[in-house]
Parts: sequence; structure tokens; C-alpha cells
Amino acid sequence: MSAFAAKCSKCGAELESPLGCTACGTLAAPEREPTPFEVFGLAPSFALDAAQLRRKLLRLGRVLHPDYFGAADEATRALAERNSARLHRAHDVLADDAARADWLVRHLGGPSENEQREMPKAFLLEVLEWNEQLEAARESAPGSRERAALADLEAELKQQRERALSAVARLLEPLPPSAAPTLREARSQLNALRYLDNTLAQIEALALGAPSSH
Amino acid sequence: MGFIELNVLNNAAQNVALGIDLGTTNSLGAMWKDGRPIVLHPEGDSGYVPSAIHFPEKGMPAVGRRARELALVDPAHTLFSIKRFMGRGLAETREDAASVPCPLSENENGVVQFEMRGRKFTPQELSALILMKVHDQACKALGGIEVTKVVITVPAYFDEAQRQATRDAARIAGLDVLRIINEPTAASLAYGLDKRKQGNVAVYDLGGGTFDVSVLRIEEGVFQVLATHGDTHLGGDDFDRALVEVARKELSALLAPNVLEDRAFLQSLRLAAEKCKIELSNAPEAYMHLAMPESGVQWRRNFTRGEAEALWAPLIERTLHSCQRALADAKLKVAQIDEVVLVGGSTRIPAVRERVERFFNRKPHVELNPDEVVALGAAVQAHVLMGGTREVLLMDVTPLSLGLETMGGAVAKIINRNSTIPCQATEGFTTYADNQTGIEFHIVQGERELAKDCRTLGRFKLSGIPPMPAGMPKVAVRFHIDANGMLTVTAKEESTGKSARIEVQPMNGLTDAQVESMLNAAYRHARDDFDARRAADLRTEIGVMVRATERGLGHAAGQLDRETMLDIQDALVAGRAALEGALPDATTLQRVRDQLERATLPLAAALMDSVAKAALSGKKLSEV
Repeated sequence: MSAFAAKCSKCGAELESPLGCTACGTLAAPEREPTPFEVFGLAPSFALDAAQLRRKLLRLGRVLHPDYFGAADEATRALAERNSARLHRAHDVLADDAARADWLVRHLGGPSENEQREMPKAFLLEVLEWNEQLEAARESAPGSRERAALADLEAELKQQRERALSAVARLLEPLPPSAAPTLREARSQLNALRYLDNTLAQIEALALGAPSSH
Repeated sequence: MGFIELNVLNNAAQNVALGIDLGTTNSLGAMWKDGRPIVLHPEGDSGYVPSAIHFPEKGMPAVGRRARELALVDPAHTLFSIKRFMGRGLAETREDAASVPCPLSENENGVVQFEMRGRKFTPQELSALILMKVHDQACKALGGIEVTKVVITVPAYFDEAQRQATRDAARIAGLDVLRIINEPTAASLAYGLDKRKQGNVAVYDLGGGTFDVSVLRIEEGVFQVLATHGDTHLGGDDFDRALVEVARKELSALLAPNVLEDRAFLQSLRLAAEKCKIELSNAPEAYMHLAMPESGVQWRRNFTRGEAEALWAPLIERTLHSCQRALADAKLKVAQIDEVVLVGGSTRIPAVRERVERFFNRKPHVELNPDEVVALGAAVQAHVLMGGTREVLLMDVTPLSLGLETMGGAVAKIINRNSTIPCQATEGFTTYADNQTGIEFHIVQGERELAKDCRTLGRFKLSGIPPMPAGMPKVAVRFHIDANGMLTVTAKEESTGKSARIEVQPMNGLTDAQVESMLNAAYRHARDDFDARRAADLRTEIGVMVRATERGLGHAAGQLDRETMLDIQDALVAGRAALEGALPDATTLQRVRDQLERATLPLAAALMDSVAKAALSGKKLSEV
């Protein structure tokens, strides 16, 4: 992949991000779509300093946000929109452990979730039991024993989530070479993670009651 | 002292923009001045423009306070709460339609229309009338300076169609919309909550017709919305309706069924309920009055606060349910909320305050006037947009998920709710058949799993794909939600690099051509207004000229030749005719005025002459 301009075209300062200059506030139009890591001026890695990412988000936000270009010409306003959208999208990927891992697996040539749908074998047996518990709770009235049991299920799923995430971290730190077999393993852990997140969201929806009609 | 830079040629302000709160019940304008946002109001006026429109039998509709007054005597021709119809189709507005005093229909794009005095009006056009009134008041307050750049607020939970309708209303009003901003976010800006170093804030905004709750994280000038939830059909109107239902039940013994269903009767009942509700915020009990002399009805009913609160409790519970959802999405517990801010006129209801305080276990902020805080925040945002400061950074979110209908009617989400805006997502498409040059897709907004349960934003048609074997073209479609929370879709065929064309059929929205023609109509109306004023001025002027000529002839008729006298007589006949009966148009009046001026030139000369002679002969001028 080609590199981006290293210096700001206006003030000559070193660019932290290919989207704009934090020194003078000038927007930059990248020649190709930057990766999420490139947007934040970071090297690809699963381990990430969350506080640093947030600081960078706010610093770049203060340069790129369209609010600061309200009086500018249309092309500049459009670039501010585009670059802010890139920044936020990149942040969504990097800030979420599962999304970041998913991106890294794809980036390294590993299988997508459509190409490899398996979950870890030991995990599969438990899924059947969890699904049964969730179904029983869904069919019972609020306040019933089945509903009360959801709290335990939720705690167990959260624990499982931690475990799957640690497994992903072990597989991706340090970053394996392109197309390494460990990427398949990482994908199956990510599939487990996706199942857990979906199930946790369903439990939360049940706890909050029926969605409003709107 | 701050100065407003003026372009001397057109008296237009160069570096200022207005903040406008386009509310369900009231609308208001504000501006950044001397380091803070201020409400704009002409002297001796609160600046509030009631969001009401009255249609007289003839002439231009009355907007604002005058319309509200006229609603009391002529409820059948006065419209309220138009905001509840923005971006909606007829089928979705059935509940609100009951309190509209005129028939409703739908245009060919599924936009609701109010049929009033033989004309059809879309909510966009009606909102434009309100915006023009607010704008007019604001410009008057600024001493006649014309400011056309505006920031307009909308409920955070407004979807794409509702935002688009708001923007179209502003376009019809001839305003240049810099930004559409969410009401609770605006309120947090007005509160200057950035002064606190760091914390989580919940903004509870219960207005006339809509409810929003936004959870924000604020740190060092950054206002980051973490989550928002709400109901665009829950507000003070619903509190009124609860009282109306009680009244209707009790009146059913006294009134004929056709009266009970009468739209004008229901409108009067609604106004009486609203008044009673407001009184109940200040007193433990209040009366609801209804006087209808034509039906001989004089009705009065006492409501205690307790009784009203029991009727309202389910509404308040719905708002708290939204609060729970917003907190869950923000991944915060109630105990992690540091401040609670109350916004919107309906938060004056004591029961609302108590329940919110109990829910958050914290005394809410009420220092700022809940009816003004949104407009003030919009003015802060306008200041930022005009380059006034980079100290404030607003990171708002899109309230609803965006998705595409897949085979089988399910929804594939492409942008999740509560994503920070601007945001984007790119999806790849290909063809199913050889040489297929177009692809259609259905884009929806909402959280449900089936496309039919979500709201259709539009059906998009991609065309101009180069003919290739099936599956070969790779079309990248980019969905971009901008800082206004509004969607644009662009497409590119990647193997050829050609931009594919996207056609959008708006659902419950106006096409560009329709907005354009409404804009022209609005100009025409403005032109009519202008002409009417000019005609009235000309008529006054002609009156003065006719009287002066009559007086002048008494003094100097003897000095004029016969031809001149005939000209003057003709001009006087025309002048007197113009003063009687209906007001002629401005062009005719201008001709009459010019004729009078021309014909009386010799008379003026003769009069000057006699004045000069009189001066020479030592007479006082008053004796001439």
C-alpha cells in the first residue's frame, strides 16, 4: 500500500493522520481510503491504549468536524464531512475489541465470518442449553422464575465473553503473519463472541420490556 | 460591545446566523451576541411565536399569537401542532388527525395535506410560514437587519423523513440552513455544561409534541452524545388529550353525537384542556371551562392535580422507559449520571419533575427557562458554525439504525443507532443477470428485524452499470449520514470507476421540484404582501395629494389656463375614484399618483409664484 503524505501541505508539520493537520487545522484529502489504524496514525495491533485512542479522537475531531467549516466553500465542507465520517468509522472499529479483531483477521487474509462459520466445539454444546434458557424466559411472564434466572445466564455469558476475548488476544498478540492458521482459530473465537453479544442484547431487550411501537 | 458586520448594499449581516427552535407549540429565535446567546425579541414582545396558523376567509394566513387569539373565535380554521405531521403519511397520523379541524389528504409522494379554505397545504409549507414569522421577528429585533443563515433544531429522535421535511420547510421559507441540530444537544450547549471538567449528563426534553432523552459525556468542551432515545409522538399535546377524553365522556350526556365529533368543538375542548393543564402546574386544582353560546353549552369541570396526575402517569412512565433504554445504550447506570437537565415546556408539570428526580435520584437543573434553552443552544451552535470558536466540539449521534432489505425481507444493518455523526458505511453490490444495468434496493430506518416493520426511507435505483456478465460488476454504494443526521447515498462501479446514478424516490417527502414550486409560491405571496403594503401607502399618498390639490385650486385656480384646469380635473376624478371602494392594485395606483403629480405641476408653480408674490408684498405665508 502506498504511503500518505508525511507533512502538511500548508504548514509543513508532521501529519498525525492522513485526514488533516492537528498543527494548523488544514484538511487533507487522502489518495486512497486509509485503514482504521492509519486514520489514527497507529500501527496495526490488537493491543490498544483506550485512553490514547480517545485523546486522538478528540484532537482529530477538533480539526476535522464540519462544524468548523460552516462558512467554508462547498468542497471544503464536503471534505470535512467525509473525513469526519472516516474518523468516526475508524474509531468504531478500533474502540470495540471484537470489531478491531475482526478487522485484523480480514486484513491479514484470514477467513470472514461467511467463509468460516464454526464456533469452538466445546462452546457449541453450551449454546444449545443457553438458547433453551433464553427461550423459556421469553415465553414466561415478567417476574417469573424463568425471567429471574436470566440474571445468572447474563453473568455466565459475560464470563464466557471475557474468556473468548482473552483467547482472541492470545491469538492476535503478537500479530500473526498473513494467512497464518491461527487466523482460522481467531475467527472461530470471534464467531463465539458474536453469538454472545447477540444473546446478551436479547437478554437486555427482555429486561427492558417490549420495544415501543416507534 | 459586539458589532454585526453589514453588507451596506443589501443590509444583510455577513457573519451571523440565527438559532431557531421550531417547536410543536412555540417557536423562537436566538443569536450569539457579546459573548453569550440571547433570545431575539422585538421590544415589548417575548419573541415566542405560537406555532399556530389561522386561515381567514380572504387574504394571507395569520401566524403566531394572532392565530392563537383567532383560534378562540374560529377554531375551525386554525391549525396547531403541525410538527407532529412532519415527514409523515396519512396512515401514520390518524391519532393526531382527530384534533385537526379540517380534512386531511395525501399527495402523490405520501405527504399529508391539510385542506383549508379550498386549498391544500403540506406540513412543510405551514412550518415555512411559522419559520418566516420567527425570522421576521428576529430580524425586527435586530433593527431590520436581514439574517438568512440559520441553525434549526429538531427532536433528537426525528428520523430522516422528519429531518428532511424540516429542511424543506426552511428552504420554502427562503432560509439558508447551516445545520439541523438535535434539541437536547442544543439544550446542553446552552447550559454551558462544558464549564465542568468532566461528567455524564442526561437531558430530559419533554416538549409540546415530542420527547427525547440524550445521555452525553462532557469533557473539556467536548459534548459527546453517547445515546439518545425518545418518542416523536409524545408530549404536552398527549397530556391535553387525556383531559379531553374525560371531558368528552362527561359531555356525551349533554351534547348530540355529531357535536361530540365536530372538529371545531374538539379544537375548543383541546384549548380548554391545555389551559387547565397549565393552571394545574401552579395550583392544586383547576377548572376546565367550555363555553359554546351557539349550542347553549356552558360547561365547567374541576380537576384536582391528583386526578390529572393519575391520567398522565402512563405517559410519564413511557418517558422513563426511554430513559432506561438510553442509559442501556450508553452503557451507564443511573448512579453514573452526574447531572440531569430538564428541557421543554411540559417539564413544568410538577409530576414530571418529581418522577424524573426519583428516577435519576438527583435534583434536575431548571435554572434556564425550559422554553428558551433550545433556541439559545442553537445560537451557540450557529456561533461555532460561523467560525466563532473551536472550544466547543459537538459529537452527536444518529438515533436510529440504517439498513437494507435483504432477500426474504430481513434487514441488514449498515449503520447502527447511536453511531457518532458524520458517519459512513460502504456496501458492495453486484448483478444477478447478464448485462443487467440497474439494481434496486430498499433502505430502511429502525430497530426491527423485518424491513416491513421499519420505516422506509426510500427505494433507490442504481442505473448506468456497464453491461457485463452477472456478478462481474462491483458497485460500491456509500451511505453517508452527515452532521445534520441526514443521509446521502452515492455509488461507484469499481471495475470501470464510473459513478453510477442513484435515484431516490422520497417516501412521505417532497421532491426537489415540489420544494422549488412551493418556494416560488412563497415568493409570490411575499410579493403580494409587498404589493399590498405599497398599494396602501400609495392610496394614502393619493389622498394627501387630492386634498392638497383641492385646497391649492381655491387659491390659484385663476392663474391656470383652461387646458391645465381640465388635466387637473381629470386627475382629481381618477384620484377620488382610487380612494373609494376596494383597494386597486399598486400599478393602477402608481399611474393615478403619477397622473396627479404631472397634472398639478403648473398648479404647484402658480402656488409657488403666489407665495413669492405674497412674500414680496409683505403678507404672512399663512395668509396666502
